[in-house]
Amino acid sequence: MRFGGIDVGSLTAQAVVVENGRITGSKSIGVRPNPVESAETVLGMLLSELGLRHQDISYIVSTGYGREQVQAKGLAHANVSEISCHGVGAVWLLPGVRTIIDIGGQDAKVIRMDASGELKDFVMNDKCAAGTGRFLEVMCRTLGITLDELGTLSLKARNPVGLSSRCSIFCETEVLHYLQRGTDKADIAASVNRAMAERVAALARRVGVEPEVTMSGGVAKNGAVKSELERILGVRMVPCPVDPQIVGALGAAVLARKMGGER
Amino acid sequence: MEDAIRLAGDILNSHLEEWRRAGGRIVGYTCVATPREIMDAAGILPYRIRALGKPERELADAYLSRFNCGFCRACLQLGLDGTYDFLDGLVENNGCDHLRGMFEDWQYAKDPAFFHYLRVPHTVSEEALEFFAEELELFREALGRHFQVDISDASLAEAMERSNRTREKLRELFSLREGERPALTGRQAMAVILLESSLPPAVFEDYLARFLEESERNEVRGYRARLLLAGSATDELALVGEIEDVGGLVVSDALCYGTRAFWNLPRLAGDPIHALAEAYLKHLLCPRMFDDYATRLDYVLRTARRARVDGAVLVHNKFCDLHGVENVRLRLDLEEAGIPVLVLEKEYGSGADLGRIRTRIQAFLERIGG
Repeated sequence: MRFGGIDVGSLTAQAVVVENGRITGSKSIGVRPNPVESAETVLGMLLSELGLRHQDISYIVSTGYGREQVQAKGLAHANVSEISCHGVGAVWLLPGVRTIIDIGGQDAKVIRMDASGELKDFVMNDKCAAGTGRFLEVMCRTLGITLDELGTLSLKARNPVGLSSRCSIFCETEVLHYLQRGTDKADIAASVNRAMAERVAALARRVGVEPEVTMSGGVAKNGAVKSELERILGVRMVPCPVDPQIVGALGAAVLARKMGGER
Repeated sequence: MEDAIRLAGDILNSHLEEWRRAGGRIVGYTCVATPREIMDAAGILPYRIRALGKPERELADAYLSRFNCGFCRACLQLGLDGTYDFLDGLVENNGCDHLRGMFEDWQYAKDPAFFHYLRVPHTVSEEALEFFAEELELFREALGRHFQVDISDASLAEAMERSNRTREKLRELFSLREGERPALTGRQAMAVILLESSLPPAVFEDYLARFLEESERNEVRGYRARLLLAGSATDELALVGEIEDVGGLVVSDALCYGTRAFWNLPRLAGDPIHALAEAYLKHLLCPRMFDDYATRLDYVLRTARRARVDGAVLVHNKFCDLHGVENVRLRLDLEEAGIPVLVLEKEYGSGADLGRIRTRIQAFLERIGG
């Protein structure tokens, strides 16, 4: 039996299919104007690649911001919060993981799981963009670099500058100020990543960080944020063995298997 | 009950308009530490100011900073934009500094005909009770002087008796809410409390009798978990609606727009001013009081156990200093007592944040197995 998960987030949408305890396929796209369209598109693309039809998937769980609409449209049988899905997906991949730091486009979450793979506790940022992927996007736009470059560029930093504020708007002003002073972009990039990590670390401390720890979500691909988080929290992150952006959809597929009745 | 929710969703409801047409006066107050009976005895309708989750702030932000609680800013906005022009006066008290700022800016900008500052002590002692009783006497005198009315002990006793009856029935209704088969939703219960402080007392008594009759036959079904809602001044029917929409039935609360307004107040009897001073000060379950954390925790725990909740949602508005701090302690103590907790810090009345709030509530329900 095949099970599916669809995760429609603020910036990207993913679909995952699992069968016999293995990931059969996954797909990630930039979101469309509405969540149902995103879900239809990403699931359609994945099914087409796998040569499957919607009815070939026994049970589908939707997650992410569009989860309720996606279910209401009949694309999924049930919906589960992305907090549970990221936790379940991470533990399915890495059974020893107890803490998941998930940083997406518009929110950051720190999720604690217990030994039986159940959600133990979580904390999520408020609506401020600081500490989320959006913060990095704004800074990249100001620096004139891509998101991918942000992580690699900061490895070349020699004298990271101090960014006094964690507010995205104020931070952008500070970055502009450093650029006008001729500060090396690498030094600014490193500071942006550090500011991001400090913000998320503060969130993580609210629920406590229990090893093993891993990261999911798009920002997990930024090695500099990851290593700054390791330094601040004093932990080593277990690398995510799949694209960290699909962990939510994977968790949804794993839960679909549970909810859909396969033992 | 749905009619009641619609009525509670109006700042100026039809009964208030009728009251005004008949020449009745209305005085606004905010804090539950204000003995409404003194106004009732004067024939004045005591109206508890609310903002009902309205998000506009632009006028208020010219007076209060953005680092003030959104509830206070939203109330001030409604004061400044004329929504509350139907009030004949305001009663300020020192519930918290944000609230004081709200009242004093309102007074400065609108210069209401009647404005009284009712000081409420922050401690409970014989001296504090004596002080508060004097404050209540001053309040009685100020009301009587301004509105040209004699507030006799007999009229106070009558108002107290009406309060006793209302509280007794409210307890009865809320017991049905907390029961094994909850008779009303949290949203309905909040609407009842909002009506209680925005209707002529005699009119509310009639409504209450009807709610009781309806609730005895009613049973709420289809929820995933029983929740307790506690925290800062929360009059947002929409927020409770969101919590219940994802399956968390709010079967009880420890809110000042909820059970804290009436549940533990004793039967009022004896010398009116002293009885009121004692009832209101000794049973004020707000973190604005010093040294009373143990009493407040005990109230929350008792409520949670009585209502057999599966978890508690502790809510506070951004920049609500009192409840922001209180919720940290409460969370630790409730979790230790075996009650799972979700702390929900939020922007007051922000519709844009509802998606994120829903996610947190849904995840919390998943966490507690609901």
